[in-house]
Amino acid sequence: MKGIGARIAFWYVGAASVSLALLFVVGYLLIEWQSMQALDRLNEAGFHQIAARLPPDPARLSAAELEAHVREVTEFAPALYYINVHQRGQAPLFRSRNLRGAAIPDVPGQLNFITHVANVGEMRATEFKIGLLEIMVATPTQPVRQALLLYAQISAGLVLAMVLASGVIGLLLSRMLLAPLRAIRDTARRIGSDNLRERIPVAHTGDEVADLAGLLNQMFDRLEASFEQIRRFTSDASHELKTPLSLVRLHAERMLGDEQLPLAHREGLQDQLVDLERLDRIIDDLLFLSRADAHAMQLDLQQQDPAAFLSDFLLDAQVLAEHHDMQVSLSHSGHGQVAFEARWMRQVLLNLLLNALNASPAGSQIRIASLLGPQGWRLSLEDEGSGLTPEQCARVFDRFVRYAPPGRPLPSGSGLGLAICRSIVGLHGGQIQAQAASRGQGLCVVVALPLA
Amino acid sequence: MKILVVEDQLQIGQMLQRGLSDAHYTVQLVSSCAAANDALAESSFEAIVLDLGLPDGDGLDLLRNWRQSGFNEPVLILSARGGVENRIKGLDFGADDYLPKPFSFEELTARVRSLMRRQSTVKDTVLDHNGIALDLVSRTCTLNGQPVDLTSREYALLVIFMQNQGRILPRTLIAEKIWHSHYDVDTNLLDVYMSRLRGKLDQQPGRCVFKTVRGVGYQLV
Repeated sequence: MKGIGARIAFWYVGAASVSLALLFVVGYLLIEWQSMQALDRLNEAGFHQIAARLPPDPARLSAAELEAHVREVTEFAPALYYINVHQRGQAPLFRSRNLRGAAIPDVPGQLNFITHVANVGEMRATEFKIGLLEIMVATPTQPVRQALLLYAQISAGLVLAMVLASGVIGLLLSRMLLAPLRAIRDTARRIGSDNLRERIPVAHTGDEVADLAGLLNQMFDRLEASFEQIRRFTSDASHELKTPLSLVRLHAERMLGDEQLPLAHREGLQDQLVDLERLDRIIDDLLFLSRADAHAMQLDLQQQDPAAFLSDFLLDAQVLAEHHDMQVSLSHSGHGQVAFEARWMRQVLLNLLLNALNASPAGSQIRIASLLGPQGWRLSLEDEGSGLTPEQCARVFDRFVRYAPPGRPLPSGSGLGLAICRSIVGLHGGQIQAQAASRGQGLCVVVALPLA
Repeated sequence: MKILVVEDQLQIGQMLQRGLSDAHYTVQLVSSCAAANDALAESSFEAIVLDLGLPDGDGLDLLRNWRQSGFNEPVLILSARGGVENRIKGLDFGADDYLPKPFSFEELTARVRSLMRRQSTVKDTVLDHNGIALDLVSRTCTLNGQPVDLTSREYALLVIFMQNQGRILPRTLIAEKIWHSHYDVDTNLLDVYMSRLRGKLDQQPGRCVFKTVRGVGYQLV
C-alpha cells in the first residue's frame, strides 16, 4: 500500500511539474518572439527618422554629406540605435559612433536577424533600402536577454516550488485516495476464524473501491456461513452422539453397582465401558479433525524454548519405552524461541512415540532429534522397526490408514493418530512427513515448525 | 449438602438425581434456564451441575449472568461439547470445572466432591495413609519410616491420591491434573506409572495400595 501511495505521489509530482515547466518554456519562447518583434518595430522607427532627414536621392550624396544628415539622428539616441549605411558590396559610408569602428554585418536574404557585432555584443538588426543605399539599423538585445533570464530564473524557482508543493499535495492525495483501500486491508487483516462477524465499511460512492469492498464482504459472508456450518455440525454431532453415549454409560455403571450381578455379566459390562470410551475417543478425534482442517479452532501459541518442553516430555517417553523394553534418546541443539502450544505438540510427540513403540522390536532404540536453527524447529523421531515403503509414507497421514509390520496384526488404534498429528502441525504453520530412517530400515517422522 | 442439577435431557437428569441422592446429596433437578434462576432465587446450593445446551438458552450465558450478579456457588459444567477450547471457554465464563459427556458417574461425584472441598480447603503439609507419609514441604515420601525414592511424576501422582484418600479417581481427572490433557488416557502411560508406584509402595504381596476400578480409574485403599 505504501508503494502505491508513493507511486501516486511520484507521478503526481512529475505530471504537475513537467506541465508547469513546459508552460514556462512556451511562455519564454512567446516573450522572446514578441520582444524581437518590438525591437524590429523600434529599428523601423529609427529608420524612418533617418529617412525623413535624407534628400530624395541619397545615393548621390558623398560620405561627408551623408554623415551630416544622419549623425543628428544617431547622436540623438546613441544608446538606442546602432546604424551603418553602405552600398551593396562596398565599404560602409556611415557608421554610428557607438559601433566603435565595427560594422553591422549584412546577412544576405534576411531583412530581420540577430547578429553579433564585435565590441558591442548581440544585436537585433534590420536592413532597409533607399535606392542603392542599404541602411542597417540595430538595437542591442541585452535588455531583452536580461529580462528573459530573469523570467527563466523565476520560472525555475516556481517549478521547484511546484515540485515541493505537489509532493506534499500528492502524498496527501494518495493517502486520501488509498484510505478506503487501507480500511479494507486493516479489516481483512482483523478478520480471522475467531472474528468472522466484522465487515469492511462500504462507502456509498458506487466507485470501484466500494465495489471491491462489497465483493470482499460477500466473500466474507460465504466464509462465515461455511465456518458457522462446520461449527454447528460439530456441535450438533457432538450433542447427538454424546447424549446417548452418556445414557448407555450411566446405565452400565448403574447395573455394575448391583451386587448380585453374575460375574460374566459384570465383565461384559466392563468391556462395554472400555469400548464406550474408545468410541468416545474416535468421535472426539473426528470432530477435532473436522474443526482443525477447517481452521475453525484457535491455538494458544506461546513463545517458548523447546528444550524445557522436550525434557518434560522425555520423562514420560522413557517410562513408556521402558515399559515396552525399549529405550528413548533425545538430542537437542540450538537456543531460541518457537511459538507453539505445548499441550498439542506433546500430543503429536506422544502419538509418534506410541506408533514407534508399536512398530519396533523389543530392545530397540527410538531416537528423538531436535534442531533449532534459523530455518525453524526441526524435530524427528526415528525407530528401528521395519519401516514403510515410499508409497506408504505418502499415505500414512491420511485418516483411518493403518499399516502393520509384516507378520503382525493391524494395530488396535483407529488410524486417526497421524492424521491428528498432521492437523496439529498444520495449525502451527508447520509440516510433517514420513521417510526412511537414516540408519537401519526403520521409519523417521520429521516435524518442521517455522520460527515465527 | 444441596446440589442443583440443570439438565434438559430428562433421562440423564433423572440418573444424575438418583446417583447423587445415593451418594447422600440432596438434589434439585431443573431443565431450563428459567427454572434454574427460580431455584437459585429460592434457596442456596453447595454446588451446581450445569448442562450447556438448554431449551431456553445457553448454559454459558446463564453462568455469566450468575457470576455478574454475584452468585459464586461452585459450578461444574457438563457438556457434550468436548475439546480444549470449549473447556477453556467454560472456565473463562466462571465455571469451576468442566466435564465432557459421556462421563462416568464416579468421575462426576469425584469432581463434585472436589468442588465442595474447594470451598473449604484445609492444607495439611504432611499426609498420612497406611504407613505412607508424604511431606509436601520437603517433597519427600516415607514408607513405614523408610524413605522411598520417587520421580517427580510419581510424586505428583501420589499427592493427588493422598489428597483424595479412599476416593475413586477417574483416569481423565488424573491425566488432567498431571498432564493438563485428556489425551494421555489413550496411552497406558498412567497404568505404567501406577504399576511403578505399586512396586515402590506395596508392602505385602497380594495386598495392593491402589485398587484398579476398571473403566474408571484408581483408588487408594
